[in-house]
Amino acid sequence: MRCEQARQLFDAYLDGELSPALATELGAHRLRCAECRRALALLEVAGHIVGADADPVRPPEGFTDRLLACMEPSRATWSHRLRRLVYAGSALAAAAVVGLAFLGVFDTHRPGQVAGKKVERSVASASVAPAPVANPPVADSAIDEFDEEFDAPDSPLQTWIERTQANLEAKRQGGESLQEVFDLTILQWLDVLEQAKQATADAPTAPPALDPAPTARPLPPTPSEDD
Amino acid sequence: MSEPLLKMNREDERLLIARVRAGDRMAVRELVDRHKERLFAFIWRMVRNHHDAEEICQDAFLKAFASLDSFSADYRFSTWLFTIGYRVCLNRLRRRHPVSGEVDLSALAAGGAPEAGAVESQEAGEVRQLVWSAVDSLSAPQRAAILLFYRYELSCQEIARVLELPVATVKSHLHRGRNSLRETMEALGEQKLSELRNLSRHAG
Ligand SMILES: [Zn+2]
Repeated sequence: MRCEQARQLFDAYLDGELSPALATELGAHRLRCAECRRALALLEVAGHIVGADADPVRPPEGFTDRLLACMEPSRATWSHRLRRLVYAGSALAAAAVVGLAFLGVFDTHRPGQVAGKKVERSVASASVAPAPVANPPVADSAIDEFDEEFDAPDSPLQTWIERTQANLEAKRQGGESLQEVFDLTILQWLDVLEQAKQATADAPTAPPALDPAPTARPLPPTPSEDD
Repeated sequence: MSEPLLKMNREDERLLIARVRAGDRMAVRELVDRHKERLFAFIWRMVRNHHDAEEICQDAFLKAFASLDSFSADYRFSTWLFTIGYRVCLNRLRRRHPVSGEVDLSALAAGGAPEAGAVESQEAGEVRQLVWSAVDSLSAPQRAAILLFYRYELSCQEIARVLELPVATVKSHLHRGRNSLRETMEALGEQKLSELRNLSRHAG
């Protein structure tokens, strides 16, 4: 075998795709030819360094947390704010905020009802969430637990979301007036609040510390406030 | 690389992805944690900027999860994820000016590190730096092909899927990439020889 032929086999050899017969031929040439021996050795050393060196970088601290927060912007913003309102006792205001949000959702994209479409739902809600602000810092574990409960498929919040969607569907088909839908939505939301408060009261841990946040963001006008 | 990930049971992966599709947040976290280090390191080697790498890596994961329905269980999740990551890298590199100072120069020389606990000679250290600087100067597809082949142990077929190129093109990128690395090392050899000659001339 001549050098020229040998060199044409280098890549197949390095890819591990050389037939046993040709591998033997190349091996024999390699033993005799210093130049090819050197060229192959360089290729192998380079491959070894690229393959075996440790990575000098790692993903930054908190990468996964930030990513998860991005994936569920709605959860991190409106769900977070809602909980503040729940704790602050502004039940009607909370109901109005959520009601408005879902009216908005209804006219653009309906939030996904299937659990598997969670990302879609988050995106849809995020696009209409009232007065979007920068994501608050990722919640502590107590808040997270609370969230898990709320996000569970059969949680009061999910039940309420489904009911609200049904209400809105009925409205769209001309069955009910907007005012009726809105009243019903608020009543159902109050129901949810009751259950949520019950659940927090039952929980062994104290409610997480909350910023005095409801004042930080102006609420949309609530028709019920005038009553 | 002896990452357990490559050997990760396919059935395991299938179940995990099914949980992600069902909206299980813990499964999302687990899937991210399993893949983030490899994907991040690959992207960092492609763009050589820590901040860009984080953004691209995050973007790749978000895109992957948003289009999880189109993921076929016939492939490894990592291959699919790298395909998305590479695509985002290319878009970013295209937008970047050729010489813009957007590369972390401080990290340029620190291409790699010997395996943990290994003590190496100055000579080995020089070769290592040389190889990595040669990797940095390869074209994007050549660099990706070299990294995916040697570092992530992908077959040429899998690399073709990641780079979205024909297998023959991948082989040609690998060939050119290898030759560039070899030529850089040859140059070092010659430089070293002439240094030695100079030394012996001064000594003699
Ligand atoms: Zn030869």
